[in-house]
Amino acid sequence: KEHEETLSRRAIIEKKKELASDALIKRQREEETRKRRRVQQAAEAERQRLIDEHRERERKRLKDQQDQIKRKEIEKQLDELKASGKGFSLDDMNIDELDSSTIRAMKLAQLEKDNRERDERVRITAKRVDHLERAFRREEIKHLPEDYER
Amino acid sequence: MAPTFDTLSDHDFDDVDEEEIDFSDLRAQYDVRRDQGLDTFVVIDGLPIVPAENKSKLVKFLLKKLNTVGNTSEDAILMPMNDQNMSDGFAFVEYETPEQAAAATKHLHGAALDRRHTLAVNKLTDIDRYGREGRIDDEYEPPEIEPFHEKEHLRSWLGDPAARDQFVMFRGDNVGVFWNMKKDPPEPVVDRKHWTQLFVQWSPQGTFLASIHQQGVQLWGGPMFSKQKQFPHPFVSLIEFSPGERYLTTWSNQPISVEEGKTSLTIEEEGKHIVIWDIVTGKPLRSFVAHDLTPPPGPEGEAPPKKKVQWPAFKWSSDEKYVARMKQHESLSIYELPRMNLLDKTSIKIEGIMDFEWAPSSPRREGIKTYEQLLCFWTPEIKSNPAKVGLMSVPSKEIVRTRNLFNVSDVKLHWQSEASFVCVKVDRHSKSKKSLATNLEIFRVREKGVPVEVVDSIKDTVINFAWEPKGDRFVLITAGEVVPGSNVAAKTAVAFFCPEKAKGGGIGNFKLIRTVDKKNSNGIYWSPKGRFVVVATVAVQQHFDLEFWDLDYEGEKAEAEKELSANLMSMNIQEHYGVTDVDWDPTGRYVVSSASVWTHQMENGYHMYTFSGVLLSENPIEKFKQLLWRPRPPTLLSKEEQRNIRRNLREYSRDFDEEDRYAVDIANTAIVEERRRLLEEWDAWVRMVKEDVKAE
Amino acid sequence: MRPVLLSGHERSLNQIKYTPDGDLLFSVAKDKNVCAWFTSNGERLGTYHGHQGAVWTVDVSPNTRLLATGAADNNVKLWNIKTGECVKTWGFPTAVKRVEFSEDGTQLLAVTEKRMGYLGTIVVYDIRYGEDLSDQTDEQSLRIECERSKATVAAWSYLSKYIIAGHEDGTVSQYDAKSGELLLDAEVHDDGYQVNDLQMSQDRTYFITAGKDKQAKLVTCRDLEILKTYKADTPLNTAAITPKKDFVILGGGQAAMDVTTTSARQGKFEARFYHKIFEDEIGRVRGHFGPLNTIAVHPQGTAYASGGEDGYVRMHAFDKPYFDFMYEVEREQARR
Repeated sequence: KEHEETLSRRAIIEKKKELASDALIKRQREEETRKRRRVQQAAEAERQRLIDEHRERERKRLKDQQDQIKRKEIEKQLDELKASGKGFSLDDMNIDELDSSTIRAMKLAQLEKDNRERDERVRITAKRVDHLERAFRREEIKHLPEDYER
Repeated sequence: MAPTFDTLSDHDFDDVDEEEIDFSDLRAQYDVRRDQGLDTFVVIDGLPIVPAENKSKLVKFLLKKLNTVGNTSEDAILMPMNDQNMSDGFAFVEYETPEQAAAATKHLHGAALDRRHTLAVNKLTDIDRYGREGRIDDEYEPPEIEPFHEKEHLRSWLGDPAARDQFVMFRGDNVGVFWNMKKDPPEPVVDRKHWTQLFVQWSPQGTFLASIHQQGVQLWGGPMFSKQKQFPHPFVSLIEFSPGERYLTTWSNQPISVEEGKTSLTIEEEGKHIVIWDIVTGKPLRSFVAHDLTPPPGPEGEAPPKKKVQWPAFKWSSDEKYVARMKQHESLSIYELPRMNLLDKTSIKIEGIMDFEWAPSSPRREGIKTYEQLLCFWTPEIKSNPAKVGLMSVPSKEIVRTRNLFNVSDVKLHWQSEASFVCVKVDRHSKSKKSLATNLEIFRVREKGVPVEVVDSIKDTVINFAWEPKGDRFVLITAGEVVPGSNVAAKTAVAFFCPEKAKGGGIGNFKLIRTVDKKNSNGIYWSPKGRFVVVATVAVQQHFDLEFWDLDYEGEKAEAEKELSANLMSMNIQEHYGVTDVDWDPTGRYVVSSASVWTHQMENGYHMYTFSGVLLSENPIEKFKQLLWRPRPPTLLSKEEQRNIRRNLREYSRDFDEEDRYAVDIANTAIVEERRRLLEEWDAWVRMVKEDVKAE
Repeated sequence: MRPVLLSGHERSLNQIKYTPDGDLLFSVAKDKNVCAWFTSNGERLGTYHGHQGAVWTVDVSPNTRLLATGAADNNVKLWNIKTGECVKTWGFPTAVKRVEFSEDGTQLLAVTEKRMGYLGTIVVYDIRYGEDLSDQTDEQSLRIECERSKATVAAWSYLSKYIIAGHEDGTVSQYDAKSGELLLDAEVHDDGYQVNDLQMSQDRTYFITAGKDKQAKLVTCRDLEILKTYKADTPLNTAAITPKKDFVILGGGQAAMDVTTTSARQGKFEARFYHKIFEDEIGRVRGHFGPLNTIAVHPQGTAYASGGEDGYVRMHAFDKPYFDFMYEVEREQARR
């Protein structure tokens, strides 16, 4: 009876051992899976980081390029302004603070100034043309009686 | 006065019968009676009516006018004020001497004070005699220069004290001659119903106005456009004056049939189409059958192609010594004036001759001392012979220069106004005869051996070309090829050319100043004085722009054009819907663009601009047909006098500025006065009507 | 001047009229409808149905009880303004082009069209304002036949002394309003150019005419003397005199059928303001897409309305600059 008890206890112990070992294996497996997943996630994150970094770099490069083009364009327009604008001063302007709308405004102002100048010159010319003709006529009138005699 | 030609006879050639004019009052006016103390006084009527506060301004302004004929001062001008503290429109003036007073009545009577006021100047003694009331105001005389000359002064219009110009305007059935008043409505000189049947035309120096009637041509002139001369060419429809106004060519497509004794035409003229008249005698010099009325019959059964009349049929040398006509493809006949005999009794055979043009002024070729006139002509390619442009000296008939041309489809001859250059515009086709391009071959007539400069940088066809008058620059318009099947006209480009600056004052090679493309322009209108030019799109449905250019802009010059003898600037752009014609006044101060009912019926009328394109007025006029500025003869001033005026322009200018200021002041005062009057008149009317209604 | 747009008509407008207090505006058009509008906000008060053809003309009785209309269906109708019911219809052999109440409202004139077999006429009815508005006479108190040239428009002078009529040939005539006798005839517009509108001044001592000859004229009632001429660059359909300010308003425009091309530039569809006394053009108001057929001025002079070929009525209230505008000489006079 005692033996039977012993036997059954052993069997129980065996059983328990078995169960314990199964559980351990299971735990180990799970642990492994978790680990694998962690590694995978880390890899994924790293990949994403690299992509983002690349994107960021690309964006920056493009922006730089655009800025450069813009700046070049502004410089070009400024040169144009300098060339057309008689005595147009740009020394006190910071080129980085200029954008195309201010340039456009400057261009408009310049155009207006040119037109004003032209109109003023034309006005002076007009007066001279008229006065010269009138002066000729005033003197010519004196010759009319003699012309009539002919 | 409605002039119908058939009612005209010799005795009413002059509107005013001299016998009927009573000169006694005028004579009395000009008689200087030294024995009376009042002889230094004149009475001036027709002054603006101004309130007391403007009196001194008016007196000062008036004084300037008065002192042009004698000496007087502010103190010697008495301008009475009435009860309303307003002036009465007249003043008494005392001159230093009776002669000056007489001069004032002679020169200032009828002179304009400003746009609205014409002076009537009489001696006080005369006024006393005729009485102040009535006579002076009623018998308001139109300004008439030298009224007691027996012959009318045909050039009196040149003496306008305000330096204005005239134009003739034909609209509906009415023809009127007007003074240009810039912004204000033009002031009529005469305006007559049915003055012409077809059109009107000025003689080249403005002396005569020609009207065209079924019975012939009538010339008008003098201060009030009385009948001067008539040329009874039945059914005349084209006329042409010689440059110096001594001769007139008339054309009718109907051969003349002479009824002996009825007109000055003789049996000589029977069956002729063209008559050349002597304007002074009014008699025909010689008459001709037209060459181009009977075109060769077309192929079997087809009507002969309608041929355009070559006009002018007879072309004049600039000095009127010669007149020439060509028989296309065959010969040129040159006649000598005044006898109208064929030069050397024979026509000049020029095989193939297509066209010819006289130099527009007497040429001055280097090394040529003898008298000559030049004409330029061209002949097309005939068999294996090239096309040719020739320059012929007359009367020697010597060909002084020729040039061979190849692949020619058409040639146009453009003389510069002083005969310094002739530009031969050569339209060339490629070998395949497909594409067209234009070359300009410019003959430098004044230079030794007449060198020819070729401007061949032009890609497209040149559709218009014009030299600057009295200058050495030109404008041309090119048109690209029309896209087949498209009804949109090809875009055009306007190109400006001038000579390069050359050492020693010579004229350098012609260079392009600038090309303005993507335009629709087709017309080039130079100021008669040069320098300014209007480039316009005329008689085109959708486009109607006018651009005003200055070739000697006084502002800064573009770096790239530093070596060119021009500084091009666009002064203004205007639009005139439906524009058909553009005309400069003879002084180059004003431009008129007009839309004639002869071309279309939309918005007929005219616009007036300054030479720089500032719009002065828009004048819509029903059935507007024609507006022609009255040309002016060459200036009466010597070179020396002109130089002096230029030198002293500043002083003149000061004068004119002041004059203009006063004129504006007085005009403004007049407008305000007129409004005040209208307002008072209205209020009075309203009061009166109120009373009336109350009474009923 | 911000316009209020009244869009209730489908066809071109023929006439518009304010009530004496200016609260309502009546409009008639080719679409057979008569509309009433609140001038304060542009809302429609209602429409009066009953005509079978284009309605050419409308007028309000001075007491604002009756509305008279004349139409291409050859009828003149009287309407109870409050209820909107038609209280009376007079029939004619031809279309009715113009109706107008006399100053005291006791008479109504009507201008009838000329047609084969019928002369153009001007007829007058006495109007009763009893409890029952439908109690109206069928008897014409006056009948004038226009033998020389048909009347196109007509109006009552001060004290209802004269009937003034504008004609097809450009003349204006004055009839004794009692006897119908033709008293005066004046060539006011160019020969053969129709008088398109005729509106009285507030005191009815003078009136303005709009002519096809591109002119409007200010004419006295007593002598038919032309006081002022206003020149426009387009044929005129309508002209009105403004109270308060010495202006006149002209409207017109080349009719589509007369325009030689489709170019819109030809139109000139603007209301033009002129100074009544100085005859200068002062300004223009754009907005219509077609010729202006009718203009009416608010009786208090605070607004005006225009009706166009385009089917719209535009109401404009005058703003301060309008009232401030003065010529120097006027200012001078105002100071005195």
